[in-house]
Amino acid sequence: MNNKHVAVIGGGIAGMEAASVLARQGLKVTLIEKQANTGGKLNDWDHLFPDFSSPDELVSSLATKTKDSGVNTVYNTEISRIERAGKRFELRANQDVRFYADAVLVASGFNVFDATIKEEYGYGLFGNVITSVDFEKRMKKHGQLRTIQGTAPKRVAIIHCVGSRDAKVGNTYCSKVCCITGIKQAIEISEMLPDCEVFCFYMDLRLYGSTFDSLYLQAQKRHKIQFIRGRLSEAAERADKSIQIKAEDTLQGRPLRMTVDMVILLVGMEPGASTSQLIQKNQMTVDENGFLKSTNMHCARNQSTQEGIFMAGTAICPMAVNETIENARSAATEIIHFFENHRP
Amino acid sequence: MYSDLNQRLKADVRLEEGLQACMNCGICTAICPAAEFYEYDPRSIAITVQSGNEEKIAALLEGDTIWYCGQCMSCKTRCPRNNCPGLIISVLRKLSQETGAFIKSRMGRQQYLIVKTIGANILRFGYCVHPNSLVPATHPEQGPVWRWIYENMHEVYAAVDANLDGDGPGAMRKISPTDLDELHQIFEVSGGLKLYQTIEYFSQLKAVEMGLTDTNGKADMEKYTQYLLNE
Ligand SMILES: Cc1cc2nc3c(=O)[nH]c(=O)nc-3n(C[C@H](O)[C@H](O)[C@H](O)COP(=O)(O)OP(=O)(O)OC[C@H]3O[C@@H](n4cnc5c(N)ncnc54)[C@H](O)[C@@H]3O)c2cc1C
Ligand code: SF4
Ligand code: SF4
Ligand code: SF4
Repeated sequence: MNNKHVAVIGGGIAGMEAASVLARQGLKVTLIEKQANTGGKLNDWDHLFPDFSSPDELVSSLATKTKDSGVNTVYNTEISRIERAGKRFELRANQDVRFYADAVLVASGFNVFDATIKEEYGYGLFGNVITSVDFEKRMKKHGQLRTIQGTAPKRVAIIHCVGSRDAKVGNTYCSKVCCITGIKQAIEISEMLPDCEVFCFYMDLRLYGSTFDSLYLQAQKRHKIQFIRGRLSEAAERADKSIQIKAEDTLQGRPLRMTVDMVILLVGMEPGASTSQLIQKNQMTVDENGFLKSTNMHCARNQSTQEGIFMAGTAICPMAVNETIENARSAATEIIHFFENHRP
Repeated sequence: MYSDLNQRLKADVRLEEGLQACMNCGICTAICPAAEFYEYDPRSIAITVQSGNEEKIAALLEGDTIWYCGQCMSCKTRCPRNNCPGLIISVLRKLSQETGAFIKSRMGRQQYLIVKTIGANILRFGYCVHPNSLVPATHPEQGPVWRWIYENMHEVYAAVDANLDGDGPGAMRKISPTDLDELHQIFEVSGGLKLYQTIEYFSQLKAVEMGLTDTNGKADMEKYTQYLLNE
C-alpha cells in the first residue's frame, strides 16, 4: 500500500483532514488547492457556531497536521478533469499540469448561493441588504457591523432559507447549517449592539446539532431575539436607505410590513462550481440536488459511482465543520480499505 | 349538503397546476394585494384545500373570502413550491357558482351583478367594459373626469386615435357580428353561458327566499339588483 498515491482535490478542511490521515498511514498524498491558501471557506468565517471558536486556529492546526504528516500540497492549481489511465487516474489542471494517482479524493466543497438571483430581496441593489457570508467577512475585517450610511443598525432582520427549499431557484433541499448560522449571527449582533433589535424570519428552525437548541434558547432568553414564522416575500429600499420588508406572520395569520436598517440573507449551500466538470470523463454522477452521488447513502457515503474515486465533505451535501472533518476521516478509511482489497 | 367536494375540486385541471403541496410559508399572503385590505389569507386557503376537510371547504364556498382575490396572480411568481393560490381560488369560485353556495355570502351574491354587467357586455359589445356602459350615475367612483369624458366621448376617443364604435381597425372599434357570433359560440361550448344561467338560477332562488317577488310570487330581479347594490 505504501507506494500508492492519492490525489486530493480541494484543500478545504475536508481535503486537509483526509490528506493528513492518509499520509499518516504511509500513503503518498498530493493535496491540490486552486487558491493560494488551504482552508477553503473557513478563511472567510469570523467565528464558528456553535461554540464561537476561531476558524483560523482550526485551519492552522489542520495545516500543521498536513505538513507534519508529509502531505505534498500544491497551490494555485485547479483540477478540471479526472480520467482513467489504465489502472490509475490522470488529473488535469490549468497550464497543462497533470497528476497521476491510484485513487482520487474529491473534496472540492460547495458554492454559496448567489443571492442576486432572488431579485425580490434586492441583494446587489440595496446597500443595506447583505448576506451571511458578507456578515462574516465584515466582522473578520472590521470587527463591527455598520449600515451603508456608516451608522450602527438599530433593527436587523435575518432571513432564513435564501436559495434553499425554493423551487423557484431550483434548490428544493435544506442547506442545513443556515438556521444555526443565523442564530449565531443574531447573538453576535446583540452582544455587539445591545440596543439593536434582531428578528429572524424562518419557516422551520432546523437545529439538528446537540447544542444548537440551547443556542436558540439563549438567543431568546438572554438576547431577546425575536423569531417570526414567515418567509420574506420582498424587500424595498426607502429614501433613507432603510429596508422595508414584507412577510406573513403565519402564526398570527397576518401580513406584516417592517422597516429595518439592515437585512441579512442566510444564503444556502450549492454544489461546488467544479462539480459538473469533475464528473465529465469518468463514471461519477450527481444526486437529485446536484451534489456528488454516493453508491450508498448509509454505508458508502464516501464512495462515488466511479470505482477508485472517493468524496469528502460538502462536495457530498451541506454539512457543518465537525461533520466535514468526521466525513473526511471516514473517506480516508474507505480509501485505505480500497487499497487493502486491491492488493496486487 | 354538498357532496364529493374534494373530487369535484380535483377534477378541475387548474387545481393540479395551482396546488402541488403547500408548506405554509406565507409568501403568497405577504405579496397578495388583497390580503393588505381584507381579512384574507391565501396561505390558509391553500392549506384548507390541501387538508381535504370538506366542512372547511364548504365554509369557503359559502363565505366572502374567496371573492376578495383580485386574480392578479402575483402569488404564482413567488411561491417556493410553485403553487398558485390564485388558481386554487378560481377553482373554488367555480365550484361555489356551480353548487349555488355563492348566494350565502354578500361578496358571493355580487356574482349576479357581474353577470348582468361585464357578463352581458362581453357578449353584446365584445368588450368586458365598454365606455357606453360606464354610466356616470351608476359609477360615481369614476369621478368628474370620467363624467366629462363620457359626455364628450366621441371627441375624446378620436383625439387619442381610437376608433370608437367605428368599422375597420383601431382601439375600441366595433366588433363585427361574425366575431360576436364566434364569441357567443365559445361561451356556449366552453360552458360559460351555462354558468351565467346557473348564477341567475340560484340568484332567483335567493330573491324568492328573501321575499323579493312580484305579484305572482316570482323572483323580482329588479328588486334583487337594488338590494345587491345597497347591500
Ligand atoms: C455562511 C456560512 C457560515 C458557516 N459557518 C459555519 C460555522 O460557524 N460552523 C460550522 O461548523 N460550519 C459552518 N459552515 C459550514 C462550513 O463552511 C463547511 O462545513 C466547510 O467549509 C466545508 O469544508 P469543505 O472542505 O467541504 O469545503 P470548502 O470549504 O468549500 O473547501 C473546498 C476547497 O476546495 C477547493 N477547490 C474546489 N474545487 C477545486 C478544484 N477543482 N481544484 C482544486 N481545488 C478546488 C476550494 O478552493 C476550497 O479551498 C458555514 C457555511 C456557510 C455557508
Ligand atoms: S437550515 Fe434553516 S435556513 Fe437553512 S435551508 Fe434549512 S430550514 Fe432553511
Ligand atoms: S407561497 Fe406557496 S407554499 Fe407558501 S404558503 Fe403560499 S401556497 Fe403555500
Ligand atoms: S391572485 Fe389572488 S391570492 Fe394571488 S396574489 Fe393576487 S389577489 Fe392574492
